[in-house]
Amino acid sequence: MLARSCAIARNDLRVVRRDAFPFVLLVAVPLVGMVFMKPAFRPTLRAEGLVHANGAEQAVPGMLVTCGFLLVSYVGYGFFREHAWRTWERLRASPATTTEILLGKALGSLALATAQFVLVFGLGSVAMGLHVHGSWGAVVLVGAAFALFVVAAGLAVTAVCRTVMQANTIAYLGTLLLACLGGALVPVTLLPGWARAIAPAAPTWWAMRGYRSAIVGGGGRVPGAVAVLLGCALALALVAVWRMRLEEPRQGFA
Amino acid sequence: MRPAALAVRGVRKRHGDVTALDGVELEIAPGEVLALLGPNGAGKTTLVSIVAGLLRADAGRVRVAGHDIERDAHGARLRLGLAPQELGVYPTLSVRENLRFHGELAGLRRAELQRRVAEVAEALALAPLLGRPARTLSGGEARRLHTGMSVMGRPALLLLDEPTAGADVEMRAQLLALVRKLAADGAGVCYSTHYLHEVEQLGASVAILDAGRIVARGALAALLARYGRARLELVKPSLESVVLDVTGRRCSPERDGAGDARA
Repeated sequence: MLARSCAIARNDLRVVRRDAFPFVLLVAVPLVGMVFMKPAFRPTLRAEGLVHANGAEQAVPGMLVTCGFLLVSYVGYGFFREHAWRTWERLRASPATTTEILLGKALGSLALATAQFVLVFGLGSVAMGLHVHGSWGAVVLVGAAFALFVVAAGLAVTAVCRTVMQANTIAYLGTLLLACLGGALVPVTLLPGWARAIAPAAPTWWAMRGYRSAIVGGGGRVPGAVAVLLGCALALALVAVWRMRLEEPRQGFA
Repeated sequence: MRPAALAVRGVRKRHGDVTALDGVELEIAPGEVLALLGPNGAGKTTLVSIVAGLLRADAGRVRVAGHDIERDAHGARLRLGLAPQELGVYPTLSVRENLRFHGELAGLRRAELQRRVAEVAEALALAPLLGRPARTLSGGEARRLHTGMSVMGRPALLLLDEPTAGADVEMRAQLLALVRKLAADGAGVCYSTHYLHEVEQLGASVAILDAGRIVARGALAALLARYGRARLELVKPSLESVVLDVTGRRCSPERDGAGDARA
């Protein structure tokens, strides 16, 4: 089963490689964002008691969480472009089962999420002076759980949308809303009261909580954050499996 | 004894109030090329879609090389190749990558996969184009690639839905040669087409679908003899006229343009 799923994932990645601009956007936007966000976050973090903070502790994971959610639209695009290119029915008529197709599409997107994580954290460390005082292992753990959540969200959004524009609209709206609520763009302490009250309902809030715990030390909040992210991923994956009808026509373009 | 490449038993399908297929019975033996003919809206594409597992029949059974398309979908699809009517290739990927992907889906790996890519590319005159992105191919070249992707897994049943639409003479000859070779190697081929002279060139047996029913089925010569005999002596019957006769769509001998050879 894994062989066909890997073949589908490799095929998707070949397509991305032929036109790398969308992936460049996934990496370039957070890198540019960090440059502007880092100095803005420094005083807030120091006011919270992190006296040696330089702002990268919030800017790097914050921009990764914000732009990581953009992957939702890339997951959708992996399906919708097959409809636009009329390769979808061929894929469905192939020996690949429904599970293999969904797994293959998910694996391709997970590979993109991994590359995004490595590049953003790598360049964030080198260029932004990010120092992980806690544990890189914990950072990777949170990153993996967040990637699974994002890919599952992408599958669920694809399952309920009929056009690529519908999927993009949900993805972009979700990106902004969840980034704000999660404290990825603005520290939670600066949010209005009503937003602070509902922030824990956003998976991104847990991702930021996990990253922060892993980066600034302690790491005590990492297991809880990972558990919540994995729970959300599981719930969204179930929605995707429940609602996904591979035989339903989808428009590759709006 | 090898099972039939395709066995369709009592298949029914409705689209809302419209009966698309009404108890279709059809069998294709290994090595047989069957031309599926019929007017637009007869149910050809619906039947092909059901056989390929893309649509679910309301009733009836479909077996591909002995494997039920519902109960053993994986087993059936392993033995099935589909080239739909509309071109379906990955435009940004090379010809080689398109062929490789469908070979991988069919379970081919490494040396075997490379060998099969070379074989298919050779058979369809795609070898010089292997490194070219599919989007740069001409219509005929893309059609050859489209068909080549469907035969990568050496299917026991090949479904070709109007494979020569828009093809030039040379490409049509290459495709027909490929179909003959696949049949000679033991594959059953279901060949849906409107180009009736291709059926004659292939020496295919014929099934005529009309209003969701198979209204005629048999060897080409037998159908010509049976349905063509009643025609005027000065008219040599063609397969086109047979189709028009059995589907009741002939308007008048003078106006239908059925392609009969008239003395």
